[in-house]
Amino acid sequence: MISTHGLSKSYEGKPALIHLDLAVPRGSICGFLGRNGAGKTTTMKLLLGMLRRDAGSIWLFGEPVDSEESGVTARRRTAFVSEDKELYPFMTVDQTIRFTRAFFPTWRRDLEEKYLDLFQLPRKKTVPKLSRGMRTQLMLLLAMARGAELLIMDEPTSGLDPALTEEVLQALADLAASDGITIFFSSHQLAEVEQLCDRVCLIDRGQKVIDGVLDDLKAEYRRILLVFEGEPPRELASLPGVDHLRRNGRTASLLAHVDVDAVVDRARELMPISVEVHPVTLKELFLDHVKGE
Amino acid sequence: MLWYKAWLETRWRFAFLVGSILVVWLAPLWISSTGVPPGVPAAKQWMGLQLGSVLLYIFTAIYLAGSGINSQTLYAATSGFHGSMLFTLSLPVSRRRLLFVRAGLGALLTCILVAIMAGYILLRRPEATSALQSLVYLTRAIVCTMPVYALSVLVACVLDEMWQFMSACFVWVAVFLLQARVEVVSRVSPLRGMSLNCYPITAPMPWAPVAVSLVLTGVLLSLSVLVLQRKDY
Repeated sequence: MISTHGLSKSYEGKPALIHLDLAVPRGSICGFLGRNGAGKTTTMKLLLGMLRRDAGSIWLFGEPVDSEESGVTARRRTAFVSEDKELYPFMTVDQTIRFTRAFFPTWRRDLEEKYLDLFQLPRKKTVPKLSRGMRTQLMLLLAMARGAELLIMDEPTSGLDPALTEEVLQALADLAASDGITIFFSSHQLAEVEQLCDRVCLIDRGQKVIDGVLDDLKAEYRRILLVFEGEPPRELASLPGVDHLRRNGRTASLLAHVDVDAVVDRARELMPISVEVHPVTLKELFLDHVKGE
Repeated sequence: MLWYKAWLETRWRFAFLVGSILVVWLAPLWISSTGVPPGVPAAKQWMGLQLGSVLLYIFTAIYLAGSGINSQTLYAATSGFHGSMLFTLSLPVSRRRLLFVRAGLGALLTCILVAIMAGYILLRRPEATSALQSLVYLTRAIVCTMPVYALSVLVACVLDEMWQFMSACFVWVAVFLLQARVEVVSRVSPLRGMSLNCYPITAPMPWAPVAVSLVLTGVLLSLSVLVLQRKDY
């Protein structure tokens, strides 16, 4: 559904995205993770043609997006929820819906009614009179009712209270389950990514560091906790199979995902006083990859 | 629907301009009805009205070109205005079409207001004006206002609204100063083409400024398309 090869972008000579290879299969829900400024919004804007790429290629729906015309065609099948959730301040809720509906022949009236009821949006109010939560809900309604095959969302739940967040996540999960649409979204809320996504892609400083099926990643990665009598030896960082290392006093925490048993055996040769192996959470994966040594 | 959106976005500017024009028109009427200033000949009053209207042509063209994609930036959003640019760009519409609709509606409204103002000037003229003279003046007033509009559209593709307004004004003030000093500029300046001071109503069509205005408008709008298509948002 989404495929990029060697996608690169820099702003005034400063690289924001470096040779990104991304593959999001049809029907999947992919969480796009990274710290602020990692390149998530840049990637989404490149996919939608809001930015011009420096290098690389983009394929959406199996077609290359290499011209304005192909971009327009792709956007006809795509919905986007931007981070700022800004809509036209001179339009009411009803006018905004009517305006957006006109561009999408596949518009779903049933979903429009459903989400209007669910979100309790006041149809006659203008956008500036809506709360931030309501504006987010309206934006999600516009995205979900347009009959798109691909939903690209930049932090869709930012600024929502927990109850609203749950409502929105449920609506997205229902939509993905019933219509089989592909969802590609960025979020800093790792719990909601774990709840909703079947795939994750993590980027850091413009480069991809993890990409795969969430359950597979959790099964592959292990945390190895080692306690030493003194400071953890420096050789730990260079052990084969160690992805990341964090040290804290006499403790060393290793993240490994290739042949974990072999890593444990090699670590034991360094004479720790205790060795523990734990499964990892998405949060640990995230933190280790963006903060690890 | 893009036309509808463009109208919703522009209607308050249009209303403001209509209000401004009414003020310019009604102020002299009010002054003369109270006898102030006394003894000003009708021809001079008319010339004052005409000069005021030329300034309004320019203001109208610059102001109506201001509402567009660039007025919806995040910068504007953080300043208390809206930042709906990303929503617009996520629609399945080419940037060329976005510009075409935005510039098209603004140009249409500019033409309407300039035609009304030019018509009013002709109505208030102390001497009789023939239909041909009226047509020639209406045509050159509209055509010579278009490069002012087109330049503002181009600048609006690059700069935020406040800078767009100021830089467009700066360019036309520079042209105004240059036309008094440089012979070539004086001959082809659109500002002279729209004025009844430089080319009286009895003069034939001033082809040089009209032709230059048409070419300039085409070039500036083409440049706007190029800039918009290459711009990162």
